[in-house]
Amino acid sequence: MVERRSLAEQVTLLDLVDRVLNKGVVVTGDVTLSVADVDLVYVGLRLLLASAATLEREAAR
Amino acid sequence: MIEAPAGTAWYVYGVAEDDPTLARLEGVELIRDSGLTAVVRAVPLEEYDEAALPERLNDRDWLERNARAHEDVLQEVAAVTAVVPLRFGAIYRSRDQVLGMLDERAGEFRSTLERVRGHVELGVKAWVDLPSLERTLGGDEVAAAGSAGAAYLQRRRQEQERSRQATARCAELAEEAHRRLSEVAVAAVANRPQPRELTGRTEAMVLNGAYLVRSGDDLLRLEVERLGKEHSSDGVEYELTGPWPPHNFAEERT
Repeated sequence: MVERRSLAEQVTLLDLVDRVLNKGVVVTGDVTLSVADVDLVYVGLRLLLASAATLEREAAR
Repeated sequence: MIEAPAGTAWYVYGVAEDDPTLARLEGVELIRDSGLTAVVRAVPLEEYDEAALPERLNDRDWLERNARAHEDVLQEVAAVTAVVPLRFGAIYRSRDQVLGMLDERAGEFRSTLERVRGHVELGVKAWVDLPSLERTLGGDEVAAAGSAGAAYLQRRRQEQERSRQATARCAELAEEAHRRLSEVAVAAVANRPQPRELTGRTEAMVLNGAYLVRSGDDLLRLEVERLGKEHSSDGVEYELTGPWPPHNFAEERT
């Protein structure tokens, strides 16, 4: 159990999003992610990463 | 356990082949119906409220925590029995609705379980260091005669030509790698490479493949090693990830 957890922890968030949010069987639940939602994740990650990079640059000054 | 506690709903991680060992998994509940088991957990309904979801998905901590929890559960289930991973965020308000979903999709779940049983998914990414690939492609600098302006233009043309060749070579390398890896896999998918602005790496990802292989089968790993050796002079590095639950092979092929 411990080993499996550590494996999941090594996985990058991007690889997780690639699989957990983009793949897998889509079922119709009370809430179902749409393609638009997943695109939102990409947009969101871009903004987050872009702002993190800006922060790092500012910190380096 | 009949209904999720008030204010909560059932989050379904995946549908597994019924196996008594599943009962030992901690932190999840099982909803069973005729040989199929939905692996679920009660989650606060407000977290997955449709109106709030877009915002949640853009909250990096929330997303990471919940995506990892999803993956953790699927890995624990996959260690015990065959599982069909569901996509993130399948929420049902009642047990009956989960049973209804199992019943409605039973045929599809059974045939997918049949296909993935005893197999794991492996991920292979190929990264290219473009400057070193362009160097291998050569294109000797021809000293331009004439004015500084003409020399500049010629240099620009050479650069553009090298970059065009590098792009073509990347496509060729990715195609060759995917073909060879597909040959040692039961099923294969080439996904869209992750964009550089998200990977944060200087190298470009040219292959983002997923391969279904028999568990314990070493052929794919060996092929990745061979590709790495053969393509290292082109500035290509291969990265193997997994084993993963069969996320990329959960949907029926059309």
